[in-house]
Amino acid sequence: MNIFRKLPNVNKEKNIRAYLFLLPALLLAVLFSFIPLAKSFIGSFLTISQSGKVLGFAGLGNYISLFKNQAFLSSIANTARFTVFFLPLNTLITLAAAALTRKKRRYTAISEFIFMTPMAFSLSALALIFKELFRGRVSVINRLTGLSLEWLDQSGPAMAVLVILGLFLDFALDYILLLSAFRGTDKSIIEAAEIDGASGGKLFFLIELPSIKNILSITIFMALKDAVLISAPVMVLTEGGPFRSTETVMYFYYLEAFRSGNRAVENTIAVLMVVFSSILMSLISRRRRDV
Amino acid sequence: MSKFARNAAIIILSAIILFPLFYALSASFFTPQDFTASEARLLPSSVSARNYMLSLSHRYFLRYLVNSILTAMLTAILRCIIVTMAAFAFTHLSFKGKRVLLIALLSTLFIPPDAMLYENYITTARLGLLDSYLGIILPSLFSASAMLMTIGAYLSSDRDIYDAAMMDGAGDIRYITTILVPLTAPVAITVFIQAFIASFNSYLWPLLVTTRPKMRTVQVGITMLGFAEEGEFGAQFAAIVIVTLPFLLLLLAGRKMIMKAISGGMSN
Repeated sequence: MNIFRKLPNVNKEKNIRAYLFLLPALLLAVLFSFIPLAKSFIGSFLTISQSGKVLGFAGLGNYISLFKNQAFLSSIANTARFTVFFLPLNTLITLAAAALTRKKRRYTAISEFIFMTPMAFSLSALALIFKELFRGRVSVINRLTGLSLEWLDQSGPAMAVLVILGLFLDFALDYILLLSAFRGTDKSIIEAAEIDGASGGKLFFLIELPSIKNILSITIFMALKDAVLISAPVMVLTEGGPFRSTETVMYFYYLEAFRSGNRAVENTIAVLMVVFSSILMSLISRRRRDV
Repeated sequence: MSKFARNAAIIILSAIILFPLFYALSASFFTPQDFTASEARLLPSSVSARNYMLSLSHRYFLRYLVNSILTAMLTAILRCIIVTMAAFAFTHLSFKGKRVLLIALLSTLFIPPDAMLYENYITTARLGLLDSYLGIILPSLFSASAMLMTIGAYLSSDRDIYDAAMMDGAGDIRYITTILVPLTAPVAITVFIQAFIASFNSYLWPLLVTTRPKMRTVQVGITMLGFAEEGEFGAQFAAIVIVTLPFLLLLLAGRKMIMKAISGGMSN
């Protein structure tokens, strides 16, 4: 009988122990995810002064004025422009690189290493190199391509440079994911197809590509998320210029939150971005489960 | 695809990918005049270590490097510990509210840290952690995806060993450090490498929470060395090479492990 009276106590002790193990993770999640999310969400319906004082209830006012804000609308257009170029190029190039090196041959170790080198560069180092490569009319890139563009001082070319920088930044990671996916496909399926007479392009497009479609779609969704949330490369490379032509949504958020102290814009964009990335993340995790 | 076409494609792609690296290396030997030549140069007019001397003797450059390595190491170690503790609790202990807490922690995956930048800045400032290592690392210490990966590895570990260890009177901590973590070492290494890379490369957050030059990480500091303003672009590139080279060597040495670490995160 004694044991039975003791049992709940033992469990309680175990409960407390479990909570202690979880405490650091929970504290961090509450402090840096849940509280800020709740504050942004509630704040997006309030009128808040620059110093953080609540002045009144705004209803949907903050959202309505956000979508009437010309700078915000053009930041959406800029982000869309970036995404439209970045996403297909990133997918095609990384997929091509992975497909080209998927079979282990004599020199694949070398090309694998080369394709991974962009990872050694940090964002700011690479952006600084790009700034110099594309600087002015006598730039290195102009010399190599025969063009005479002032890359970073014209809006179209500046966006192109930003896209190229984005491609370099995401390349290694996506390449590794796709390469491992190719190498992880069941060899027996490929061999069976080869016996059935499939080869070359047919084998690749009908057997190998479909077998990595889950990882491929994960990399596409991750690239989409990176593209829509892009801000740091903009900050180092162009600071939104020229004429705000590379000012993306998250760079606009950064400027409004930290330079202008505009709490309405800060809170509403934060909420919209959480909604957007939740949708993307649920698409990603659904696929991740099938991997 | 013919062998020739494939090799040609690989070589062209490799050349493009290596070009910024090649240029940084070459430009780290440029004289100030080389940068302003009437035709953009690809190779330096002479080779001297002057630029490297300049950047190494910069007042803060080495300090930036130390700050980055320190914060990245701390982030990686602490994240491993925090994630291990949480994953252990979820897989080995029974307690009330397990499901709810697991869902709550995993739901942080849906909240992009970039969108919480301002609120987290305010929190860090209120905690008095601006310009401190803790302020730089705190928001990225917990990672739900790292926890998920670790849970996956622990689920496949043998529960009988745990029960036996408990029977022998070994405490949880002892079981974790001497049995569980060594048995699932690959996942810990993956979490460590991913955390180190992410932390070392982070730019926006360290930029916001540091104002004193002494506290800046190298990613932030390297854009503020002031060499460009003095016309010493070469020293700027020397600094870039100094920061990048160790990672290239690490990549060369640990290519397989890093590949596994990155793709490992996907299979769970």
